[in-house]
Amino acid sequence: MTIPSFHLFIQTLILGVLVGGVYALMSSGLTLIFGVMRVINVAHGAILILGAFITYVLFQNFQIDPIVSIVITMPLLFGVGWLIQRYILSRIESPEQTSVLVTFALALIMEGILGAIFHTTIRSVKPDYATDAIILASYRFPVTRLMGFASALIVILCLNLILYYTNIGRAIRATMQDPRAAQLVGINVSKISAFAFALGVSTAAAGGSLLSMIYSFNPSSQTDWIAKTLSIIVLGGMGSLPGALVAALILGVMEQLTAIMITLYWSPIVFYFFLFITLIIRPQGLMGEIIREKG
Amino acid sequence: MKSKIWKLMISLAILSLLITACGAPATEAPAATDAPTQPPATDAPSQPAATEAPAEAPIKIGASLPLTGDFSEPGSAAKKGYEVWVDVVNGSGGLLGRPVELVLYDNASDPDTAVADYERLITQDEVDLVVGPFSSRLVIPTSEVAAKYGYAFPEPAGGAPGVFDRGLTNIFFCQPAPSDQQAIPFADFVLGLPEDTRPKTFAVITNDDPFSVAVVESVEKLLVEGGLTLVLKETYPPDTQDFSSLAAKVADLDPDLLVGGTQFEDSVGQIKAYQQAGYQPRGAVFTTGPGLPTEFKEALGDGTEGVFAPISWFEASTTETNPEFVAAYHEKFGDEPIAEDSANAFTVGQVLQQAVENTQSVDNAVLIEEMHSATFTTVVGPLSFDEAGRPAGSYMVLQWQGDAYVIVAPDFAKQAEPAWPKPNW
Repeated sequence: MTIPSFHLFIQTLILGVLVGGVYALMSSGLTLIFGVMRVINVAHGAILILGAFITYVLFQNFQIDPIVSIVITMPLLFGVGWLIQRYILSRIESPEQTSVLVTFALALIMEGILGAIFHTTIRSVKPDYATDAIILASYRFPVTRLMGFASALIVILCLNLILYYTNIGRAIRATMQDPRAAQLVGINVSKISAFAFALGVSTAAAGGSLLSMIYSFNPSSQTDWIAKTLSIIVLGGMGSLPGALVAALILGVMEQLTAIMITLYWSPIVFYFFLFITLIIRPQGLMGEIIREKG
Repeated sequence: MKSKIWKLMISLAILSLLITACGAPATEAPAATDAPTQPPATDAPSQPAATEAPAEAPIKIGASLPLTGDFSEPGSAAKKGYEVWVDVVNGSGGLLGRPVELVLYDNASDPDTAVADYERLITQDEVDLVVGPFSSRLVIPTSEVAAKYGYAFPEPAGGAPGVFDRGLTNIFFCQPAPSDQQAIPFADFVLGLPEDTRPKTFAVITNDDPFSVAVVESVEKLLVEGGLTLVLKETYPPDTQDFSSLAAKVADLDPDLLVGGTQFEDSVGQIKAYQQAGYQPRGAVFTTGPGLPTEFKEALGDGTEGVFAPISWFEASTTETNPEFVAAYHEKFGDEPIAEDSANAFTVGQVLQQAVENTQSVDNAVLIEEMHSATFTTVVGPLSFDEAGRPAGSYMVLQWQGDAYVIVAPDFAKQAEPAWPKPNW
């Protein structure tokens, strides 16, 4: 273990927070979907990669900036999410249990289709500013990560505005708290579920657009991302949006610090380490609530 | 119900016995005229046994390459090299008057799959000869399979020490020098720089791959002996994507020289991260990646400027048979620049071809003996092998200058003066 210089330590914190913001966006949809539907969307990683590939195609063919393409990927995958919920998830019995299998199948199908189209070549989106960095008091803020962080914050903010200041958001939160009671007060729970699922998927699409310019990816990268995002929402507390945000920042920073203080070899393990610790010590996560099995 | 299942199982068992019984002799018969990329296993039983004219039966040469996965870029380049060689041989009357047919599998960069592929090539497809996959990670396990069946194993890209130190005598590494000697010309170049511009500190950043590690460790040893100080050595998993914190750490130490042990993707990932971190070394060398003429430029744009790399071959080289190879390649695949890996695969073919022609035999034991004793004319120059299959020769050093790379050392292949210190990336 090496003790970094103060400058390197701060620089690494900056990188960790920036990447943590993007992680937060990527996992917010996953935790939202779980909160509303008690469904673990194992296809979340595949949707991230799908978003990244759409962004890649838009950039290669029409030179659309990856940040701008969020405006396209989000509504597009909102539609896809809506269809998945309406025509697949809502038709299965006891979604709490079987949804893992169904969404796992969806992930494999998406990976297969993307693989057939794009092969396994590793790709990334390279806007002009891909290697630029903004220097502030001798600290470097890579432009792609800075823009990724800012966009992630904006999308998360919008998500919160929807959840807290719109009727549909209130309905979503009511459903999160108690679906049966929500139904009793006149909320159409199945419609709300479809909306929430689609909303969750569309935030993954935005995450995918950002991923495409920060990381390189191929269809099978989805497995890395579902592992990371699941670890984040378990640490944050399944179903808790603020929890996901905090956990994403913690894991982003820890991952980067591990790389400089121990070795880069160990940084992917940080996620699993925290996953195990959480499950052993505090299974409900940082901000989650204990869910009792329904009788 | 139960008896039905039993009947089904018994009939299936009989059927499978029948199929294997028919299949075994049938493989001696010519299966297909055109070299298929996937051998049609179901074709075989249609023609029970070869009746005559074995001289016209193709010589089947088996290979398993990483056409997908981590090594897909160099693996696909190697495939092209093998294909060009098959075309050239068949265009000039074949081997010993028989056409050559390539039986090729994709091992998805997975060592277990590669091992299974070679088992299948030798025992089921019954190929006459085999040629190697790409990179030490796959060559090490697959060469054991070839050795088990007594097959000669000329291979284009497995030159790590681990390839040669297992007491096998069937391996022939068809590049100018073993991996651990690849970057020696670069180390010589650095140590030969005048005192005032010679780097004083260096960092080694390598992925955990036997090939990369072997190359960088030999450079590291030479540089340390030459008086340079190693300020940082980091090993990372082969699938690492996020180099930002590592780059911040390197930038913080600011070594004069960077030695990167890379495949293709991570060389790009490292350089991008160094650009973002604002790290500008006096020199930077990466083991693999910069040698891919199109892909490296496409991935990095101006980021390629001044980057060094060891290379076994370059397109404009005037070694005997190289111009013919270059022409045949462009005729088949168009104007795209030729990757080094294609040339290395072609070299494998050349060694095999000359061994077969010298001995007038496709007996692997005879070929192995010939490969140990003869000197072969190849596109990377004259090649001979020691008892463990190590080639004797020297690599070259390339440097990216503008839109392409040029050979800057050693003197026998030099095309241009090296730019030192390297321009900013």
